[in-house]
Amino acid sequence: MLRETNRHFKFDWTTIILFLLLVSFGYLNILSASHSGSSVNYFNLSQPYGKQLVFIFFTFGLIIILLSIDTKFYERFSSIIYIISILSLIGLFIFGKNVNGATSWYGIGGLTIQPSEFAKTGTALAVAKHISDLNTDIKNLKDQIQTFIIILIPALLIILQNDTGSTLVYVAFFFVLYREGLPQIYLTLGIIAIVIAVSSLKFGSVVASIIIIITITVYYFLNKKRPPILQSIFILIICIGLSFIVNFFYKSVIPPHQKDRMNLWLRLEKDPIKLERMKKTFAYNLNESEKAISSGGVTGKGFMEGTRTTGKFVPEQHTDYIFSTVGEEWGFLGSAFVVITFVLLLLRILHLAELQKSQFSRVYGYGVAGIIFMHFLINIGMVMGLIPTIGIPLPLFSYGGSGLWAFTILLFIFVKLDSNRINEW
Amino acid sequence: MAVNEKNILNRLYFVAGCMFIFGLAVVFKLMSIQFIQGDKYKALASQRVVKDVIIPPNRGNVYSANGNLLATSIPKYEVRLDAVTPKVSTFEKYLKPLSDSLSNYLGKPSSYYQKSIRKARANKNRYFFLAKNLGYSDYLRFKSFPMLRLGAFKGGFIDEQTTKREHPMGGVAERTIGYERIDEDGNVTRPGLDGAYGIKYLRGVAGKRAKQQIGKGQWKPILDYNQVEPQDGYDIYTTIDVNIQDIAHHALLKQLELYEAEHGCVVVMEVETGEVRAISNLGRTKKGKYYEKLNYAVGESHEPGSTFKVMALIAALEDKVIDTSTIVDTQKGRKRFYGRYINDSKHGGYGKISAARALEVSSNIGLATIIDDNYSENPKKFLDRLDEWKLNQTLGIPIIGEGQPNIPKPGDAIWSKNALPSMAYGYNLKLTPLQTLAFYNAIANKGELIRPRFLRSVKEFDVEIETFDKDIIVKKICSDKTLSEVKEILKNIVVRGTGERMYSKTFSMAGKTGTARTGYANYEEWKKEKKYVSSFAGYFPADNPKYSCIVVVHEPSTKVGYYGADVSGPVFKKIAQKIYTDTPLIDEVEVLDVQSESVNNEFEAYFEIAQTYKTVMPNVIGLPVMDAIALLENIQVKLKIKLDGNGIVRKQSINKNVKLKNNQEVVLSAS
Repeated sequence: MLRETNRHFKFDWTTIILFLLLVSFGYLNILSASHSGSSVNYFNLSQPYGKQLVFIFFTFGLIIILLSIDTKFYERFSSIIYIISILSLIGLFIFGKNVNGATSWYGIGGLTIQPSEFAKTGTALAVAKHISDLNTDIKNLKDQIQTFIIILIPALLIILQNDTGSTLVYVAFFFVLYREGLPQIYLTLGIIAIVIAVSSLKFGSVVASIIIIITITVYYFLNKKRPPILQSIFILIICIGLSFIVNFFYKSVIPPHQKDRMNLWLRLEKDPIKLERMKKTFAYNLNESEKAISSGGVTGKGFMEGTRTTGKFVPEQHTDYIFSTVGEEWGFLGSAFVVITFVLLLLRILHLAELQKSQFSRVYGYGVAGIIFMHFLINIGMVMGLIPTIGIPLPLFSYGGSGLWAFTILLFIFVKLDSNRINEW
Repeated sequence: MAVNEKNILNRLYFVAGCMFIFGLAVVFKLMSIQFIQGDKYKALASQRVVKDVIIPPNRGNVYSANGNLLATSIPKYEVRLDAVTPKVSTFEKYLKPLSDSLSNYLGKPSSYYQKSIRKARANKNRYFFLAKNLGYSDYLRFKSFPMLRLGAFKGGFIDEQTTKREHPMGGVAERTIGYERIDEDGNVTRPGLDGAYGIKYLRGVAGKRAKQQIGKGQWKPILDYNQVEPQDGYDIYTTIDVNIQDIAHHALLKQLELYEAEHGCVVVMEVETGEVRAISNLGRTKKGKYYEKLNYAVGESHEPGSTFKVMALIAALEDKVIDTSTIVDTQKGRKRFYGRYINDSKHGGYGKISAARALEVSSNIGLATIIDDNYSENPKKFLDRLDEWKLNQTLGIPIIGEGQPNIPKPGDAIWSKNALPSMAYGYNLKLTPLQTLAFYNAIANKGELIRPRFLRSVKEFDVEIETFDKDIIVKKICSDKTLSEVKEILKNIVVRGTGERMYSKTFSMAGKTGTARTGYANYEEWKKEKKYVSSFAGYFPADNPKYSCIVVVHEPSTKVGYYGADVSGPVFKKIAQKIYTDTPLIDEVEVLDVQSESVNNEFEAYFEIAQTYKTVMPNVIGLPVMDAIALLENIQVKLKIKLDGNGIVRKQSINKNVKLKNNQEVVLSAS
C-alpha cells in the first residue's frame, strides 16, 4: 500500500513547488495590478484577478489529468498532438479573432483561446519524438532539415498572425538541438550573424564591414594552419554582404513601428523630439515600467500599496508587464526572488532532463526549459529594457488562461515523463 | 548518438550557463534601475503621484456705489472628448446622435463632427477639443449630449473649469476697477482698485487639497476634506456711480475722437465726501480708437498750466499781499521777466486789470507779476503755502502707481529766478489731475481738502467688513473770505472769462480753464508740431457745489483746437448738464424742469407727426422702433404691424402719405 502510494507520488516535488510558487506569487501580483477601488471581491469574474483565480483552480484539475495519463501516451501521440496544433494555427486564418493587432485567438463564447500557446507543447513533443527516433541522427543534414521543418511550420504560421514574440520562442529549440549534438558550426554562425547584424545597425554597414575585414584578416594571419585564402575571401564577402542586407532590410522592409523599437533599443534615435514622442507612445510602457520598478527600492512598497500599480500607470501591467508590479510592490528582493525562482526552475528542469534515460524525455525536457527560458528572457528583457519591446507573457506569472494552461501542460507532461524515470528506479 | 561524454557536458554547461548568465544580467539590471538610477526615477515617480491641488477661492466682486456689478468672476467651461475611452459599441451607437447635437449647437454639419471625431479616435486623441468659454447652462447642455452624458469613463467626457473675470459694464472705468493678470513668466499686472485692494480683500485665500494620481490625468482626493478650506474674497463697493461714469466716459470719448487727442482723462468727485463718482482714462490706439489704456488721472503728473493760477492767487490772497481788486499791469500781452518774455494769449494784452480779472481772463503776465512782485524776495513763503496744501506730496490713494508731484525749491537744479513767475501760471511744476481736482474740491467744500476715495465698503456677503470714511488731508486751505472771493472768480470765468463759451443759462458751473504747452523742451521741434494739454477743473453747481470735476486732454489736434475751454470745457459741461438733468440726486427744484434738448426735439417730432397723420401712413423712417410703433398704433386706422429687427426704422413697407385701410399689414425693417 505504502509502496503503491509512493509510486504515485514519486513526482519531482522541487519542480512542482517552484511551479506553485510562481503561480501563486503571480496571482498576488495580478490581483494588485488589476484591482480597482478599495474592496476586492476575489471571485468577481469581470475582473482579471477573479478570472485568474478560476484559471488557477482549473489548472489543478488539469494537472491531475496530465499526471494520470500514461507516459507512453505522450510519446505515442506526439505526432498527432503536433498535427492538431498546426491545424489549430491554420484555423486561425479562417476563424481567428483579432486582438491588439494579432490574429491569434479563437473566441469561444466569452472565452478566448490562443492556440499558439499550446502549439509550443506540440512542437516540443514532435521535436523530441523526431530526434529520439532511432533512425534520426542530428548530425545528418537531412535530419537537421527535417527537424528544422518541424520547428519552422508553427513558427511561420505564428509570424503570419503578427505575433513576433511567440515566434521568437521557437528559437528555444536551438538549445535542444544543440544539446543533442547539432554541429558547433550552427552556433558559431548564429552568433556571428547576430553580432554582424547588431553592429551593422548600430554603427552602419561601412564601419561594420571594416571591423569584419580587420577581424578576418587578423584571424587569417594568426591562425597557424592558414585556412585557404579563397575560402576566407568568400566568408569575408558573405559577411559584408550580410551587413548590407541587414541594413537594407532594416531600412526598407521592416515596418516602421518595429523599426522604431529597434531604434530605441540600439539608442539610434538622436532627434530629441522624436525620442520624446517615442517615450509617449510605445516606449511609454517601458518608461513607466522602469519607473515603477525603480520606485520599489529594496523591499518595495508592500502588497497592494504600489501607487503606480494601483494607479494603472503601466498599461498591460497584469499581462506582459506583470514584472513591474513585482518590482514596485516587492522591491529588489521580490524581483530577485522571481528571477531566482525562474533560474532554479530552469536549472532543475535541465538537471532532470539530463537524468532521463529515454532520449524522448530528455529532448522534451530541454524543449520545456528552452521555451520557458525564451519567454522569461524576452519578457523580463522587455520590461527592463534589455531587449526591444516584444509583447510576450511571463510564464506562469502573467494573467491569462491560455498561457497558464499551456505552460502547465508543457511542464507537467515533463513532470509525468520524469516520474516515470523515478518510478522505474 | 556518437556524442562523447565530455562534449555533452560542455554543451549542457553552455545551455545552463546561458540561462544563468541571463538571470545574472537581469539581477544587475534590476540593481541598476533600483539603486543607481533609482533616485532619479523615484523623484520622477513621487513628484507625479501626489500633489497639493490648489483650490482657487472665488474672487470678490466689485460693485458700483449704486450696487451695479462692475467686475465679477464667472465660471467658464472647456469641454473635450476622450475619443479613445468609449467602447466600440458605445462609440458607434452614439457617434451620430452626438454629432447631430454638436452640429445643432456649434453650427457645422453633423458629418463634419462625425468625421473629425472618428479621426480623433483613430489617432488615439484623448483630448479632442469640442468647445470652450461655455457658460454654466451651456455646459450642462453639453453634458447631456449623447455619449457625453455617460460621463468621463464610459463616454469620454472631459470638462475643465476656469474662472474668467468679467466686467459687465464693458471697458468703462476698466483701468480704475482694475484686474489681475498674470503672464506666462509670472509677472503680475494689477492696475486700479484690484491692484489696491485685490490682495487684501478681493483675492481670498486659496484652499489646498492633496490629490493622488490614479491614472492618466485623473486625480483623486486623498482625504474626504480639504486640508485648507478656500476662503472666498470679499466684495468691494466702490464709489463709482455707473450713470455718471457712463456720462463721463462717453463725453470724454466723443471729445477725444473729435480732437484726435493722444489721451485724456476725466474724474468726477462728490464735493462733500471726496468719493470719486466717475473716472475715465482713455488712450489712443494706432488706429485712432480709444480704450482704458493707463490710469492717467492718477498716474500722470504733468505741468498743469493755467488751472494752477487758482492756487497761486489763493496763496497771494491768503498772505494778504494782494486783494482781488489789486491792479496788475499786464502790459501789451508781452512782459519780460529776468531775460525771458511771458506772453498772454490775447493779442495786444489786457493792459491794467484787477487781480480777479487777471484770473478770469487767465493772464499769464498778470499772475506771474502778482507772484513775482510779492514773493521773489522770499520764494519760500509761497512754497510753504503749497506745502501746507500738501501739493508736493502724493495724495496717498491706494491705487498703485500714483504720479509723483514735483514742486521745485530754491537750490534745486531746475530752480531759477524764472521759476517763481513760471509757477504762477502752472509751469515748472508737476501735479496729477487728481491732485488738482482735490484742490478744486476743497474750494467747493468750504476749504476742507479731502482725499479722493474710491471705496465705500468691503463686504462679505452682506456683512460689512470695513467701511471707508471721509479722509481729510487739510482742514481748511484758506479763510472763508478768500474762499468766497475765489469762488466768485471761478463762477465768473464761466460767465465772462475764458470759459464763457461754456456758459449755460440753465445751470451754473464754476471752474478754470487750462491750456499748457507740453513737450516743448526742444522749442524748434515743438513749433513744428505744437502740443498742448487742455484742461478744465471746477465744480457745479457754482453756488452750492455738489460735484467737482476735472477734464484733461493731452495733445489735441491743433487743427481742430486746443484751448481748454474748447477741448476740455465741453466735456465738463456735458457732465454737469447730464448730471443735472438725469440724476434725481440734485435737490434743486428748478433744474428738474430743464429738459435735454435732444429729448425735447425727439418728442416734438413725434408729436408733430402724431398730430398730422390720422389715416395716412406717416414717415417713420429714422424714428426709434418704439416711437414708430407707438405712432402707428395710435393712428385711427387699425394696423397689423410686423417688425423686422431692432433699433432705428430703416424701411417701411407702405410709403409715406399712402391712405391706410383697417387691418392692413405694415412691415418695419429696423437695424
